[in-house]
Amino acid sequence: MEQQREVATRPSMTTGGPKDAAVLCRGVIKSYGSGETQVKALRGVDLEVHPGELLMLVGPSGCGKTTLISVVAGILDQDDGECLLFGQNLSRLPQHERVRYRGEHIGFVFQAFNLIPSLTAAENAAIPLLINGIPMEEAVTRAALLLASVGLEGREHALPSQLSGGQQQRVAVARALVHSPRLVVCDEPTSALDQVTGIRVMEGLKKLAVNDDRALVIVTHDARIFSFADRIAHMNDGAIERIENKR
Amino acid sequence: MNSIALKMLFGDRGKYLGIITGITLASILMIQQPGMLVSIFTMTYSFITDVSLPNIWVMDAKVQQIDDSKPLLDTQLYRVRGVRGVEWAVPLYKGSQKVRLSNGETVMSNLLGLDDATLIGGPAVMIEGKLSDLRIPDSVIVDEAGANGRLAKPAAAPGERATPLKVGDVLELNEKRALVVGIARAQKTFQSQPIIYTTYTRAKVYANSERKMLTYILVKAKDNEPRETIARRITQNTRLAAWTAEEFKKKSLDYMIYNTSIIINFGFVVLVGFVIGAAVTGQIFYNFTLDNLRYFAVFKAMGATDQTLRKMILLQAVLVGFVGYGIGAGATASFAAIMGNSNGPSINLSWQLLLASGCAILLIVLMSALFCIRKVLKLEAAVVFKG
Repeated sequence: MEQQREVATRPSMTTGGPKDAAVLCRGVIKSYGSGETQVKALRGVDLEVHPGELLMLVGPSGCGKTTLISVVAGILDQDDGECLLFGQNLSRLPQHERVRYRGEHIGFVFQAFNLIPSLTAAENAAIPLLINGIPMEEAVTRAALLLASVGLEGREHALPSQLSGGQQQRVAVARALVHSPRLVVCDEPTSALDQVTGIRVMEGLKKLAVNDDRALVIVTHDARIFSFADRIAHMNDGAIERIENKR
Repeated sequence: MNSIALKMLFGDRGKYLGIITGITLASILMIQQPGMLVSIFTMTYSFITDVSLPNIWVMDAKVQQIDDSKPLLDTQLYRVRGVRGVEWAVPLYKGSQKVRLSNGETVMSNLLGLDDATLIGGPAVMIEGKLSDLRIPDSVIVDEAGANGRLAKPAAAPGERATPLKVGDVLELNEKRALVVGIARAQKTFQSQPIIYTTYTRAKVYANSERKMLTYILVKAKDNEPRETIARRITQNTRLAAWTAEEFKKKSLDYMIYNTSIIINFGFVVLVGFVIGAAVTGQIFYNFTLDNLRYFAVFKAMGATDQTLRKMILLQAVLVGFVGYGIGAGATASFAAIMGNSNGPSINLSWQLLLASGCAILLIVLMSALFCIRKVLKLEAAVVFKG
């Protein structure tokens, strides 16, 4: 753990100072269960992600990647340590404020797309706006514009069942970006896609998602997309073993 | 998010229709059965309601309800008239008589013999003819349901429809001629038999096998004393039972309630309706929520508050309740309209009944929604990351 902390905080492994970090985790510990059945999912993780950066979390199944992004996104509370999102410690916020913060500042892309089958592509993509109180008509219009920018112009009214896997994931990407979040968290965004489609989705994601004020954290097993990363954090057994700078 | 909640609901057409069907069936059972029960209860005293002018009914002390006929001697009428506080008293015959139709079939009917002079106790609404036409020899007035139904002239050939009885037609009562001089509207009675009105004297002719003919003495109490007091005085002076119209209605109704298992039977069906409705609706709605649990988790992860999720589920529940109840109430009302035209018991759809059944349906959907809300609120948003 000590070694991992040392590696993560080396200046060469970050793109800016901790003050400017989009995500700043220090000594994050998270366990599931208790007593003999307790499983330590995170064993003191340190991590920094900076605006404009695409960081990939890689590692074997069960190494704690998903738990880490859940903590980063404020979905799970860590047992110990600290995790700041743009300087904000979500675990110290009241539940309703944390939920609101997540709704305004974080976008999600899931492995299984998680599009609502009865909603059109535009309606699915509009969900974060609706959650933030934007009226339906305006939300769908804005979502349709974003769908066009991910190459789904003319497919706004299609249901998920009428779209291919790649198209569905592009809808999910549009949904993750439609409310202009400051952090986008992706869980295995290409694992359900073939190589060509996966690359295409990643190109769109990198083009649209990464900018000066937005960071992207991607959990993946998919070595085909490693080339899109600015840095790759290799996790094992609940800790970051090393961080690989790809720039 | 409300429109998203509704689209999710309508999108799963199978479950949506399943929930609606469950609520519709529950609504039908919970509206139709009590409606029919109320109608039957009303029918037990409908004759007392129809005879609105007198306010005290005098009868044999053993009479338990309106159709329980224990006739008196005609002389009792004079004793009642002599009681202080009685403004007037008139006789009423109420019995059953077979009516012979032109094809030889006989139909059991209610025969009412009204006071010859005043015709008190006659129908309030005449559709054809006049009440005073009962003064024509051999005349009778028939109620509308009987004239169009059981007393209608039989079809001349198989497959043809019976012709409703009309003024001028002749019936045969106890081998005696009865000329129809009017058609009247009367509330259905519990026995659902045709009602034939005639004069008291003529009723004695039609039912001449009976020694005692005076079924009821209809009394109008003077206004200067409570009618209950006068009724008690009649009982005291004559040893006959005397009840105000309201008391007699209640007595007839109580007889029905306490001497039959009607309340238990209908109540059981209503309870079954509620339980089945709650079980079916609750189960399907819960399954619907379980199927959508993943999406609720997505909403949670994306920042939907507990209140937003609660509202979404409540909206879905209330909507299916509203639609299911609307269809159920509409179907029951249509059924009631059809039954209203038949000779059987109708369905009394009072606003109180609709309100009560609506509340029961609301309770069902809210209970279902509460289970679902509990499940969704306990849901860990992190499940969205499980592939």
